[in-house]
Amino acid sequence: MRPATRSRVSPDVGRTRDLFEAPRAIPQAPVPRTQPAPRQLWLAVRLRALPLVALPRGAEGPWAVVADEGATRVLVGANAAAARYGLVAGQKLNAARALAPSLEIVERDPPREAQHLERLARWAMSLTPLVSLEPPDGLLLEVQGSLRLFGGAEALMARAAGELDARGEPCALAAAPTPRAALWLARAHHGTVVESAATLAGALGRLPLAVTGWPARALEDCTRLGLATLADIHRLPRAGLMRRFEATVLAELDEAYGQRPAPRRRHVAAERFEERLEPVAELDRVAALEPWCNRLLERLGRFLRVRDAGVTTLAFTLVHRDAKPTCVRLGRALPAADPFEWQNLLAERLGRLALPAPVRALVLRSGAVVPVAGTSGDLPGCGSEGPGSGAIWLLDRLRARLGEAAVSGVCLVPEHRPEAAFRRLRPEPAPRPGADAPLPDAPRPLWLLAAPEPLGRPRHALSLESGPERIESGWWDGAPVARDYYVARTAQGVRLWIYQDREASGGWFLHGVFG
Amino acid sequence: MDGLLETLLADARLWRARGGTEARDPALCVPTGWPKLDARLPGRGWPLGTLIEFLLPETGIGELSLLLPALGALVNADDAGRRWLAWIAPPHAPYAPALAQSGIRADRLLLVGAEKPSDRLWAIEQALRSGGCAAVLAWLDAADDRWLRRLKLAAETGRTLAVLMRPARRRNDASPASLRLVLEPTSRGLDLWLLKSRGRGPSRVPDVLGA
Repeated sequence: MRPATRSRVSPDVGRTRDLFEAPRAIPQAPVPRTQPAPRQLWLAVRLRALPLVALPRGAEGPWAVVADEGATRVLVGANAAAARYGLVAGQKLNAARALAPSLEIVERDPPREAQHLERLARWAMSLTPLVSLEPPDGLLLEVQGSLRLFGGAEALMARAAGELDARGEPCALAAAPTPRAALWLARAHHGTVVESAATLAGALGRLPLAVTGWPARALEDCTRLGLATLADIHRLPRAGLMRRFEATVLAELDEAYGQRPAPRRRHVAAERFEERLEPVAELDRVAALEPWCNRLLERLGRFLRVRDAGVTTLAFTLVHRDAKPTCVRLGRALPAADPFEWQNLLAERLGRLALPAPVRALVLRSGAVVPVAGTSGDLPGCGSEGPGSGAIWLLDRLRARLGEAAVSGVCLVPEHRPEAAFRRLRPEPAPRPGADAPLPDAPRPLWLLAAPEPLGRPRHALSLESGPERIESGWWDGAPVARDYYVARTAQGVRLWIYQDREASGGWFLHGVFG
Repeated sequence: MDGLLETLLADARLWRARGGTEARDPALCVPTGWPKLDARLPGRGWPLGTLIEFLLPETGIGELSLLLPALGALVNADDAGRRWLAWIAPPHAPYAPALAQSGIRADRLLLVGAEKPSDRLWAIEQALRSGGCAAVLAWLDAADDRWLRRLKLAAETGRTLAVLMRPARRRNDASPASLRLVLEPTSRGLDLWLLKSRGRGPSRVPDVLGA
C-alpha cells in the first residue's frame, strides 16, 4: 500500500522543489501576477529586544548586550536604565561607555535567543496552530483560520500585542497576505494590517528599502540607482533587475508581492505531557497524595504507550492554598514508559516529604518525550533480559532518594597533578568505550584526601619508603603545583603518600593513604 | 533428585559445617589473591552473597589492598561490564588512577554519598538487592542487629561481594556477618584475626600483605 502511494506523490514533490526552491528557475520574463491560491493572512511578530529579554537579568543599573560586528563591538540591546542615558541598539560600545560610564556589559547569547524564540512559538500556538520561526528575531503566524474566533485581524493583533506586552516582550506586529510582506511591514511600522491582496502592493510600495534586510551591497546599488522605496524597485523592468541584483533579492521581492509562493516550515513544539488534577477535598497527608499521583502516572503511561515513547524526567507540582508550590522532581537513567517504575521512585520521595500546607491540586509535567524500543521493563534481580538492568534500577533508586549530587561515577583525566587526574561525573550505566587515560608509573595511594593536609606529626617519625617523585605542572591554569612526593610508613605500619612543597613554604603535606 | 541437591548446595544460605567447604565453588567464592588467606577461608576465597565484616582500627591500614585482587577479578569477570563496584559512604575519595593501576576500570565505580545512618543502611540494602553490583563496599559505624540482619538477607538474594567496613571498637557487637575479620597493621604488612568464619573457630593469619 505504502510504496504505491509514495510513487504517486513523488513526481509532484519533485516539481514543487524545482519551482519553489531553486532560484535559477526564475523565468526571464516577468512572472505572471497570481494571487496566493488559498487565502492567507500572516501575522509577523518581530521581537525588538530579543537579545536583551533572552538573558535572565534583573539588575537595576544600566546594562547592555553587546556583540561583535566586524572589528567593532556594538550594542544589540540596552535595558531601561541604560536607555535613560541615551543608549540604543546599534551604538558602538565605546560611544556607549562614554555616555554611561557605569554600564555593565553582557555578551550576546544566540542559543538562549533561539530557546526564547521557541518558547514564544509555544505561546503563539494559542493563537493558531500554524506557527513558523523566523530566526533570529521573528515569528510568523498564519492566522486566517483564527480570524473568526478572535473577531478579526485587528482584534487578534491587539490581543497578541497585549499578551506579549504582559510577558515583557517589546515587539512590532504586522499582518499581510504574504509572509515576507508581513515581516517587512513589521520592521517598518508596528500595527499595520493589510488584509486583502489588492491593497498589498500599495502598502508595500511605501516602505523604504532598508526594511528588506538585503545585503549592504545590494542596498548601495539601489541608492546609486535612485531607488528609495519598494515601489521604485518593483516598477522597474524585470530583465534589467535580473542583471543587476542577486537572484535571492528578486525572489524575496516576488515573495513579498505574492508573485511567488513562499512556503514556510511549520514549527512543531517538542511534545510534553502535562496534566492537572484537583481533588474534591484538600489533601493534608502525604499518604493521601499517593492515589492521586498514581492516577496521574497512569494517564502518563497511556500517553506514552500510544506513542511508543518514554521520559527520563518528571516533575510533580503540589499546589497549596497559602504556600509556595512544592515540586518533586524524579529522574531515571533510561527513558521509562511504565508507570509502575515511576511509582516506586515516587513512593521513595513521598515517604520523606513534609507538606507545608494542604494540597489543592497536583500537576504532573514530563520532560522531553523520547522514543523507546518496545520492550518491557524487568524486575530487579532477575536480569535475564538485558544485562545491567539491576545496575540501572539501583541508579534510579539511589538518585531518587539521595539526590543527583550524592551519586556519582568517576572518569580518569590525563593530568599530572594527582588531584586533577580524576573527575566525578554523572554515572552512565553503559560502559564507556575507548581507552582510559594513561596511568602513572609511580605508586599511587588508594585513598586521596579531598585537600592536602599539613603533616601533623614530625617528619622524622615516618620512615620514607620510596621517592621523591617530582610533580611540577599546571602553571598554565593558575593552580600550579611543584611537589616532591614520597611514600612513607608510620610506626603503626600505615603507608602514607606525603609531599614536600617546593614553593616558598617548603612544608610537608599528607595527600593520600595507601589503604 | 540430583538436580534438587545441586540447587540446594548452590544456595548461599545453606551452611555446611564440614566437607565440601574445602573445594572452591567459583559461583560462591572469589579467590582473595592472597594464598595464605585463601588457605584459611572456607571455600578458599571471599564468600559471595553474604556479609563480610572488616573491623579496622583506622582507615588506610590496607583494607583496600587486601580486597584489590578480588575486586579486579570480579570486575573483569563481569563480561558485559554492566555491574557496579559500589562505594557507599567512603571516608575519602577512592583514587581512581590507583584503582586503574590494579586493573579496576574507572567507569565501573559508583560513589554514593549518604551522611545520615538511615540513608546509608538503605543505600547498602538497595545496592545488595538490585543485583546490579559486582561488589559493594560500605562504611558503617553503629548499626542495630535488626538492620544488619536485613542487610544479610539482602546480600543473600544476589552474588555480590558485600564488605562492611566498621571501626574495630565494634568487634564485640553482635553481628550476623558470616565472615568477620579484625585488621591490624604491622611493620611487615597486615595481620588478620578471623573472628568468625563458617565452620571454623577464631584464628589468626599473620603478614597477609607481606610480599
